[in-house]
Amino acid sequence: MAVRKHPSFRQFLADRGFFIVLALTFALFSVATDNFLSVGNVFGVIHSMTPLAVMSVGMALVVMTGKIDISVGSVAFLSTSIGVIAMRDYGFGPLAACALTLLVGVVCGAVNGVLVARFGVDPLITTLGSMIAFRGLGLQLTNSVMLQLPEATRASGNIAVGPVYLDILFGALVIVGFHYLHTRRPFGRVLTAIGNDVVAANKVGLPVDRVVFQSFVISGLMAAVAGTMTALQLGAVTAFLGQGAEFNALAVIVVGGISLTGGRGNLLVGIPLGAALFEFIRNGLTHLGADPYSYRLVGGVVIFVAMYADAIRTKLLASRRKLIIDG
Amino acid sequence: MATSSEPILCMTDIDKHFPGVIALTKARLTVRPGEVMALMGANGAGKSTLMNVLGGVISPNGGTIELSGATVAFQSPRDSKAAGIAFVHQELTMFGTMTVAENIFIDDFPMASQLTDTRRMRAEATRLLDLVGARIEPDMPVEQLGTGDRQLIEIARALRRNPKVIIFDEPTSSLTDRERHRLFEVVRSLRQAGAAVIYITHFLDEIFAVCDRVTVMRDGTTVSDNAIAEVTAADVVRLMLGPTEEAGRLRPPTPSSASALVEVSGLSRSGALRDVALSLRPGEIVGLWGLLGSGRTELIRALMGLDPIDDGRITWFGDGQGRSVTPTELCGFAGLVTEDRRGEGIVAPQSITDNVALPNLGHLSSALGVIDGRRAEKLACETMNRLSVKASGPQQAIGTLSGGNQQKVVLGRWLAVQPRLFLLDEPTRGLDVSAKTDILKLVVELAQSGCAVLFVSSELGELMRVADRYLVMSRGQIIDDLPPTASEDDLMRAVA
Repeated sequence: MAVRKHPSFRQFLADRGFFIVLALTFALFSVATDNFLSVGNVFGVIHSMTPLAVMSVGMALVVMTGKIDISVGSVAFLSTSIGVIAMRDYGFGPLAACALTLLVGVVCGAVNGVLVARFGVDPLITTLGSMIAFRGLGLQLTNSVMLQLPEATRASGNIAVGPVYLDILFGALVIVGFHYLHTRRPFGRVLTAIGNDVVAANKVGLPVDRVVFQSFVISGLMAAVAGTMTALQLGAVTAFLGQGAEFNALAVIVVGGISLTGGRGNLLVGIPLGAALFEFIRNGLTHLGADPYSYRLVGGVVIFVAMYADAIRTKLLASRRKLIIDG
Repeated sequence: MATSSEPILCMTDIDKHFPGVIALTKARLTVRPGEVMALMGANGAGKSTLMNVLGGVISPNGGTIELSGATVAFQSPRDSKAAGIAFVHQELTMFGTMTVAENIFIDDFPMASQLTDTRRMRAEATRLLDLVGARIEPDMPVEQLGTGDRQLIEIARALRRNPKVIIFDEPTSSLTDRERHRLFEVVRSLRQAGAAVIYITHFLDEIFAVCDRVTVMRDGTTVSDNAIAEVTAADVVRLMLGPTEEAGRLRPPTPSSASALVEVSGLSRSGALRDVALSLRPGEIVGLWGLLGSGRTELIRALMGLDPIDDGRITWFGDGQGRSVTPTELCGFAGLVTEDRRGEGIVAPQSITDNVALPNLGHLSSALGVIDGRRAEKLACETMNRLSVKASGPQQAIGTLSGGNQQKVVLGRWLAVQPRLFLLDEPTRGLDVSAKTDILKLVVELAQSGCAVLFVSSELGELMRVADRYLVMSRGQIIDDLPPTASEDDLMRAVA
């Protein structure tokens, strides 16, 4: 009832809600456990969330157009599998294998992009299909067994300068770069325009199909990058690499305030925030000694609350708009 | 203030055929710099097609376009834009979450070292917004602005390439009075700056307010091109509508002397209807006459509760003494035919039976709420026989019938419900001559059986075959109530 009396309070919650939740979560775990709030633990959490953030930021471009790409987890698996097999069986060096991995990601993204942008297949159906197909192909190539990385490359995922892991810096660079791509490149602006109103974008003569295609290609590429980062951290490619990652990435995007209907959201704030919230909750629960299966329940609740906040935000905007037009 | 300089744009003998339809035949349009040309025409006259040809959206089958004396052929909207033609679309193409400046530059951002040049964008946007008289911050997200401001941003976007020809497609349809006058100022200043403006509208007073010449199109061809001083509003209406077909009345005018079945007063809807009052009596066919955009459809929709109303009172006398009802309640007493048959009238993939059953589901259902298929089919057969619907059987999908037969089913399904009131919005749109007559005969039958009918048609000749009196609409108001003896001339003068 108090909420209804103060619409501005509701708006405050909708706009800043997740900063508050993140801060509260952080405070709660810091107080409740001994080791949560240590430099080592905090950077460790950020380290382990970086691949997810990199995957999410690529997928966020697709979401920005109002579409979706749930094949990213499988792309990460297929591309790294091929990279590792190239090193093991075909004598590729680490750099050449890395390049091949990224190329596979681009090709996977292009397949999705062609189906959606050129043939007009629904993006959810398209990427659901490719999610299954890419993982199937990967499992066939690897015979579902774990592939070790060569000794030389194994440790490179966990190089740190002081407490800061190298891949955190890399991830930060990627997110800043994508932020500029989104806000200051014509490509990013057209992306946002498409998410706002695809019919209007076509009428204005914007290159809608091309930009949608490119967003899927980039999503595939970043999935391969994220897969590579994960593989380097683990020192191996397992059959489970990237499994379920598409939904974690989607959750990061939603929690980060990037609207699934497209056109709305800030990558620079949203992606790190969304990813951090997830990983800190998971890590905090571990420190509390909670049942690992409870992560999923808590994660689900967080996603639901984020979606609800998104709905409230949309409704508030609509009513504000109506006020302006009527008044 | 028409200048006598050479035309900047000359479209000659433009032909365009679509499969089964001839959209344009020998359409012409000539515009000079520093001139505002009104392009008028009834629905389907070919204005939009002609402008789409000019905008590079569709390519013509024949004819030539000369721009500044050189023949051009546009392959795409991009070509047309590059040649200096700007199109301000009727529906706004704004992107709400983006800033005003970004919306203006969305299709061609100024760049500085690989990134969009926000400083230049802001400066340039401020200049353009100034030009169109908009007081808006360029950094504001568009979603926080009203329709009038958005319209001005749309124009600012069109102006940024310094176009030679600017097309305005019904720019005022969603504007308030004040915003309208601001827009007129913009058009005048464009003319002052030497641009050629093509101004499409349905509002006659606007062309006399801002235009120098008027080109009228009818049935896909250009019928006149006059200086605005040479014509009156009535002339323009006459040119737009053409000679009405001389077809006899289907029944002599029978003004009803019964007391009203429904009375409406003070019906208002912001931006669409103003203080509308009318009463309908049993057994009479009331023709609702007005040009496109006068508020005919809006009135029908408001009466049926399809659009919300701000104010007004509806009194229903159907059950003896009058009682006040809401539009939604009134809808329950009435049979409705909307102007958009494919979109709102029928469920195309379903069978005739299913479509007939729709308003009758109540009494076709058993006690358990299950629809009795056999009774529904029987009802469909009766309807088809009574209206001589040509179909293979009641199971044929309604979408595969001809337009006339579809419309018969749409009207026919109400017969079993036996409403006392019918609201018909363009029930004969897109039908051939004989199908039209069939529908009109059906309307007369309904009136003869004691129903009150409110009949909307943009074809005057058709209205004159059945109407027992005319209500004349303009700008959301009923401005006149004419007797059945009103001549074609009277009716045309009334809306001009």
